[in-house]
Formats: sequence, C-alpha cells, structure tokens
Amino acid sequence: MYVVHYMPPTTNHLELFENLRLELRRGSLILAVLAALRKEQYGYTLRKTLADHGMAIDEGTLYPLLRRLETQGLLVSEWREEDKRNKRFYRLSPDGKVILKELLVEWQNINSSLNGLL
Amino acid sequence: MKLVDRYLKAVGTYLPADQRDDILRELSEDIRSEIEEKENELARPLSEAEQEAILKQRGNPIRLAARYRQDHRTLAFGRQLIGPELFPFYIKVLSFNLGLTFAVVGIIFSALVFSGQKITFNDVFSTCAMQLCIQMGIVTIIFVMVEKHLNKYPDRWNLRSSGGGVHLDLRFEKNFRFKFASDARQVSRFESLSTIVASAVALAWLAEVQSHPFLIFWGAASFLKLAPVWSRMYVPIVALTSWNITRAAINLARPQWTRFRRISDIALQAAGLVLVAFLLRDGPWVALADGVGTPSENLLRVVEITNRAILYSFLIAGVISAVTMVIKVVRLASDSRRSAPSAEAWSARKERS
Repeated sequence: MYVVHYMPPTTNHLELFENLRLELRRGSLILAVLAALRKEQYGYTLRKTLADHGMAIDEGTLYPLLRRLETQGLLVSEWREEDKRNKRFYRLSPDGKVILKELLVEWQNINSSLNGLL
Repeated sequence: MKLVDRYLKAVGTYLPADQRDDILRELSEDIRSEIEEKENELARPLSEAEQEAILKQRGNPIRLAARYRQDHRTLAFGRQLIGPELFPFYIKVLSFNLGLTFAVVGIIFSALVFSGQKITFNDVFSTCAMQLCIQMGIVTIIFVMVEKHLNKYPDRWNLRSSGGGVHLDLRFEKNFRFKFASDARQVSRFESLSTIVASAVALAWLAEVQSHPFLIFWGAASFLKLAPVWSRMYVPIVALTSWNITRAAINLARPQWTRFRRISDIALQAAGLVLVAFLLRDGPWVALADGVGTPSENLLRVVEITNRAILYSFLIAGVISAVTMVIKVVRLASDSRRSAPSAEAWSARKERS
C-alpha cells in the first residue's frame, strides 16, 4: 500500500520552484530573442513582442543579452531616427540566421525527447 | 523627466566607462518609450509618482548597471558573501586601504633600514600580514553587511528626496535612514554615524598611545617615544576631535542643518591649521625612548629621519588643508549669494503681495 504525503508549498519550495523556472526560461530566452529578431526591431518593441508571446523579459536582462549576442556576431544594430527619436534597431546577422536555424532543430529534438519522457 | 535623468545618472555611475554613453542612450530611449506609451494610454502626462513606479520596476541602479558588466566575480565561502554588483567596489576600497597602509608601513621600514637598523624578513612579513588581516576583515564585514541589506531590501532606494542622485537607504528603524550618497539638502546620517565612530576610535587611540607607544611605533617602540610637544597638544587635539563628534551628533539628529555642518567644518579646519602651525613651531615630534641610554649614531639617525618625514607630512597636510578650506569658504559664500533673493526679486515679490 502506498501512502502519499501531501506537502503544502512552503517559502523554500516556492523559492526553489522560482529558481528552477528561471533557469528553464533562461535557456529559451536566447532562442526567443533570436527568433523575434528575424524582423528588425528596436529594444522596446522587441520587449513588447516577447511579452505578447508570453516570454516577458525585463530590460535589465534584455539589453545586456542583446549586447552579448551582438558581440558574438549573431546580431547587428544601427541607430536610426523614427518618430523624431533616435532608436537602436537590431536584426539577425547572417551568422545569427544560421545559428538560429541550428538552435531550432536542437529545440525540436529536445522537445520531442521530452515529450517521449513525459 | 527629472526623475528619469536622475535614475540614468545613477545607473551611469556604475557602468563601465567605455560603454556608458551607448548604454545610457539606449536605456533612456526604452524608459521614455514606456512613459510615452503610458501617457498615450491615459491621454495625460504621467505624475512623478507614476514615473517613479516605472523606474522602480527597473530595479536598483547598482543591480541594473551590474548586469552590463563583464566582471561577474564574487566573494564566496561556501555561499556567496559579496555579489557581482558590489564586488568591483569591494576590490577598489580594499586596494585603496591596503595601498595606503602598505605605503605607511613602507615609509617606517625604509626609515629604519636607511638609518642602519636591522630589519628581518619576519618583521616585515608579520607587520604586513597583520595589516592585511585587519583591513580585509573590516572591509569584508562592511561589504557583507551592505550585500545582505541589498538582498533583503532590494526596493529600498529612492529618487525623489535627493538633490541630484539616487540614495540607497540602510533603514534599520522606521523613519530612521542611513544614506550613502551625499545630499545637497541633508547631511547623510550614514556619514554622521561614521564620523562619530571613527572619531571615538581616534579618541580612544589618542588616550592609549601615550602610555602604549607601540600603538604608533610598532617594533620601533623599544627605542622611540613621542616628544613632549604632544603632551602640550593633547588637550587641543582631544577638543577638536570632540568638537567633530558633537558636530556629527547634531547632524545625526538634524540632518537638514547643512549650513551648520559647512560652517563647522571650516572652523574645524581653521583650528586644525592653527594646531599644525603650533606643532611645526614646537617640533621635534619624536624622541629616543627613556631606556635607551647612550644612543648609537644609527638610533639618532632614525630619530632624525622620522622627524624629517613628520615635518614634510605636516607641511603637505597644512597646504592641502589650507587650500581645501579656501575652496569651502568660497563655495559657502557663493552658495549664500545664490540663495539670497536679489533686490529686484525681493521688490517684485513685495509688489505682488
């Protein structure tokens, strides 16, 4: 006979879940950003696009990430005027397009593997 | 947009210098886009409180800036004690303190070596190791406490009360705040408390150093002592230090008394200059200890070199102090002129009333 113990969520449990959830999301964020930048966008609209698709990301995470991806050669950016204001527009670089394609294949593989396990 | 500018200025302080302008430009654009969108939604300009709420959401400027830095080093013993946000400042303070301490130790040992005293490797090593432990211990404890506070109260920073910067509040009790940044309208309580603690330690040290000369001469205390001039100057030095404690205690209770603090500082500096003048007149400042007997030529040279080093230190300190005092007086005078209403403004105000 099995006895199932139900443990109500404690602060530690919630904290642990939150940390694991953030870790899980962190890996997928890069993929989401690269995918969203197939179309050229500036920071604020990119943030909104991601939020609209359920991938909300705070600016303190997004902008440093964009800088890192640009340094790695996956993104290109340029300052341009729009609505009388200077904005920095980002888009995928040719290298970024290749990496995105490869990452998407990897993502599909992980997804199907996980589906098999679940 | 005053709040936004203030927030950006605060973030900029902690950003890497080579990327600062670029990052701030982009961050500014992002914040202004968000504010503009909210204003369009509400069909009215945002209030200061609403703008502040948007900035609060972005988080503490120190933490935000840290995310742009490539340096993610931390201090950890098992668990993290000082995070990547504070680590660069921890290293800066530690380097400065250790640099200053080793410079003083270096001067003393050099004076001993040049005068022909025997210095063993053990003497140098044990003195340096002790200083390293003391400095590292104190600076690390302070930074660990600040880190703990930042983690416990990530939202305790404010933009509105300052005269031009973002303040981190170390609030231990309700309505009792310690602020890091200097505020044009208030004397930081953190600073007042630090002054009280540091001056109290100095008073205790002054009281003990007369009977325990090793507190100032370390290993050289066996043949060096303070010259009689210090006994004559003891009371004025204690009076000046006590005055500083009193001033800080008053500002702890009345942080808005900034003018009192500035005038008091100038007076304290002037009194300090008079004291230095008397010390220069009545030197020498170091003599041979009583039990030395007939001094060798080497010992006499140690005394001579040490006194010469003290003379130069007094001269340098006097010049720096005099220049600082003049700058403070000029600033105080120009600020007083600026805050006093002009004759035309006064008559215009009278006419209106």
